[in-house]
Amino acid sequence: MHHETTIAKEALLRLDKANRVFRMGEVDVRALVEVDLTITKGEFLVVVGPSGSGKSTLLNLIGGTDRPTGGRVWHGNRELSSLTDDALTEYRRSVVGFIFQFYNLVPSLTAHENVQVATELVDDALDPQEALEMVDLADRADHFPAQLSGGEQQRVAIARALAKRPELLLADEPTGALDLPTARSVLDILQRLNRDQGITVVLITHNPAIAGIGGRVVRLVSGRVAETRVNEHPIAATDVAW
Amino acid sequence: MRVLHRKLIRDLIASAGVLLSVIAIIAIGTGSFVGLGSTQRILEASQAGYYRDYRFADFWVDVKKAPLAAVERIAEFPEITSLDTRVVFDVILDLEGEVKPLTGRLISTPARGFDQTLNGICLIRGSGFSDDRSEEVILSEAFAAAHGLEIGDRIKLILNRKRESFVIVGTAISPEYVYMVRGPGDLIPDPKHFGVLYVKDEYARDVLDFKDACNQVVGRVAPWAQGDIDILLDRVDRVLAPFGVLEITPRRRQASHRFLSDEITGLAVTAGIMPAIFLGVAALVLNIVMIRLTQRQRAIIGTLKALGYSNRSVMSHYLLFGVLVGVIGGLAGGAMGVGLAHVMIVMYEEFFQFPRFLVSYHTDLWAVGIAISVLFAVVGTVRGVLEVLRLHPAEAMRQKPPERGGSIFIERLPWLWRRLGFRTHMALRSVFRNRTRTATAITATALASAITFMALAMYDSFAFLVDYQFEAVAHSDVDIGMRDEASTLALFESRELPGVDYAESVLGVRCDLRHGRQARRMMITGLSADHRLTTPMDADFRPIRIPNDGLVLSRKLAAVLDVRVGDRLELTPVRGRRETKQVRVASIVETFLGMDCYADIRYLSRMVGESLAVNSVQLDVDPRETPRLYARIKQTPNARGLGVRADAKRNIEETLVETSVFSIGLMVVFAGVIAFGSTLNNALIEIGDRMRELSTLRVLGYRPGQIAGILFRQSLVTFSIGLLLAFPLGYAMIYLISAAYDSELYRLPVIVRSPIVAYTVGLALTFVLVAQWIVHRQIQKLDWLEGVNVKE
Repeated sequence: MHHETTIAKEALLRLDKANRVFRMGEVDVRALVEVDLTITKGEFLVVVGPSGSGKSTLLNLIGGTDRPTGGRVWHGNRELSSLTDDALTEYRRSVVGFIFQFYNLVPSLTAHENVQVATELVDDALDPQEALEMVDLADRADHFPAQLSGGEQQRVAIARALAKRPELLLADEPTGALDLPTARSVLDILQRLNRDQGITVVLITHNPAIAGIGGRVVRLVSGRVAETRVNEHPIAATDVAW
Repeated sequence: MRVLHRKLIRDLIASAGVLLSVIAIIAIGTGSFVGLGSTQRILEASQAGYYRDYRFADFWVDVKKAPLAAVERIAEFPEITSLDTRVVFDVILDLEGEVKPLTGRLISTPARGFDQTLNGICLIRGSGFSDDRSEEVILSEAFAAAHGLEIGDRIKLILNRKRESFVIVGTAISPEYVYMVRGPGDLIPDPKHFGVLYVKDEYARDVLDFKDACNQVVGRVAPWAQGDIDILLDRVDRVLAPFGVLEITPRRRQASHRFLSDEITGLAVTAGIMPAIFLGVAALVLNIVMIRLTQRQRAIIGTLKALGYSNRSVMSHYLLFGVLVGVIGGLAGGAMGVGLAHVMIVMYEEFFQFPRFLVSYHTDLWAVGIAISVLFAVVGTVRGVLEVLRLHPAEAMRQKPPERGGSIFIERLPWLWRRLGFRTHMALRSVFRNRTRTATAITATALASAITFMALAMYDSFAFLVDYQFEAVAHSDVDIGMRDEASTLALFESRELPGVDYAESVLGVRCDLRHGRQARRMMITGLSADHRLTTPMDADFRPIRIPNDGLVLSRKLAAVLDVRVGDRLELTPVRGRRETKQVRVASIVETFLGMDCYADIRYLSRMVGESLAVNSVQLDVDPRETPRLYARIKQTPNARGLGVRADAKRNIEETLVETSVFSIGLMVVFAGVIAFGSTLNNALIEIGDRMRELSTLRVLGYRPGQIAGILFRQSLVTFSIGLLLAFPLGYAMIYLISAAYDSELYRLPVIVRSPIVAYTVGLALTFVLVAQWIVHRQIQKLDWLEGVNVKE
């Protein structure tokens, strides 16, 4: 299992003076400013910050769904920022698993089929059923998103993300739309995946209460890294409270 | 990709309502393509097969009486591959139980092997001639059917001043009379009043004094000589001239052939234009559907891309959507096309008589039809998908930014703008901001209304034509053609016929008219100086008096001969001394059937070099006396033919009503599908897009009707603009069709009368209102609480 590299402090991703400017009508909005950040293999990184601080933009640069307007993003020795669209697609396909605030499931497909959307993309994917078992949803496989609760939908989304066996799980406000107990169980799954399978997790949230579960916390303010803090003793997801 | 296919099918089912309108439009496009195309091919194949199997002639020469020895000389021309001679005579028929004398065309044919001659006869019923007796006749099937005549029945006709009784031994059709009209000037077959009678050659020549002679020569020309057929026919004319050549008709001017070929050409043109219009609209509508679908699935597209799906696979996923819509529409259309072709052939069977229609299912037309509809569907899809694919996945997953704001031009007219309520403001802004959607709605309305307008105007145009020709120009109740020319005495005699209130004599003389290189052999109608029963009219429909000298030409004839009023023509009568004279074009009149040429009867007699002669009379008849008049005509050996204006008019009207109701109904339904489909589609998309806005209004306390009103205002704006464009567009279509049908056989007047405009507006409005009603229902069913909270 190539994931079991928790001990070695190997860099998985590196942002090098990354900038991202959006042009909104007449004005330029600087969403990220000169961000330097290294993500090591196997870590659980939480990025916190108020809305508009550039968290999602950071996540998109890491996930290969957006490109910096300045600076570079490296995955190992590969410079993501210079990859072709095809290569970037390949990167997203093989390296990254996305989890979104609003789950982004295909409404016309069942839970099982939604996971299949991901597994059909890669050769060594998990069996969709197996992935659903990992998020305790094996019995809801035939339900459509509309028939599932928010927490269940998010667990389907997690199953979809992990079924591709990604190196990196990117979770964008995964509990933003959930109540506390549901949020705890979702976070617990992410923590277990990181701990047991060595998957690198980057989680972004505006909720400081969640920061405690990460091994490292980066705080963004107005597109800049305001603080980087290492958590010697992360709390268990089940103990999160707000 | 299998799981995405499943998504595709479920998405298709989910948007079935919206797609149904697109599929219907595509189906109609493909259906009209396959239907019209198949019909055209079936007619073409049936025509070619029939002409080949029954040796349809390449030319006809009518002579007064030519000895067979003279005809032999023509047969030696190397260009002519086969030649037949026959005797053709127009006769008056007396049917038992039929008050009216009927007109028949007697054609002589060999007693044996009549199916082997040129223009061979194809027996439908009976066994053909026997050796038992001479007085046997084979009747044209349509005529026999129209009168319920059976094999073994007898009919009476006047032959060479003797009444003869014939036994019907068969009914038949012939390639010469696929479209059974007397000749040019007849618009529609009238089997009740005109039939063809085939009698034994020997018998006919004997009774009619044509021993070793004939009055018609028909021939076929070698393929290599077809190009120079006119030169060949000039030579034939020179050889037969001494025997009085009345008419030379190359195949391209033969009435039945012309009508059939014009119909086939017309079908080909329609098969090209109609489907293009429908499929074009379908592509536009599908384009809107796909833009909307992809916009609504922005987040899904973004997610798929974030998961690692490539642009290509996302694109092909959505393209498959278009392909499926195209295939479904194409298949439905293909099936519809076969049905359409079937119905059209049934309709054509009433007009065109073939041994059988060579019906086949043209799978290549299906394939092309489906390919075209898929192509149009894909074209409609590509734009919608490209728009989203251009985005980064992250961007695609974000909510689409609000539509461009900014004021629209009407807002610069504050005095007007302030007067309009906010719901009108909403409607107007939406109209001006969704440019593509608005343009599509306008295009669809304009095309649909233009097609409706054109269809209705064509019907009106036919109605006008019939009224014009049978009321405004011709007034005589009964016309009697005479076999031999008579002096003016005939006129006085005819005034003595029972029931005749008034009579006018007419002299018809066949003449060659020549102007420069243009020439035509025409029947010139000589009218008396005080003519009351014929009123030729000019282009502005003002009555024209026939001048004392000079010719009055119909507009088409003037165009064919390339002459204007005041120009001089060479006129050569094809009988008598055949002296060529210079004559002046005195005026030009408008006619829509055949080509007419009038002159003063005395002037015409002088031209021919005879004293005043008459060969037909026009009668104004007291309707109560017609049975007695008819009885007398049946007894008149000199009567050669009879025309009853009311019958001719009724026949055309009935036939036109029958066929027009079908074709115009079909066009209106097709147009309705476009108008209805596009309006409904736009409104449903509008509801989907503005779910939150409309739901908010519901929450604020607006009734469904008031909300539907916003969408209705929007439809009304595009509808009005589309309708304004429809009339010039429709007028252009009518003009084009009129130009396409402008032939020597008939023309369509371009006449637009106001009720047609009103009907068009009414019909178009009906379709829009029905669509609006469905929209209203949709809004009533709107789950507005869900709508307000819709998370986008």
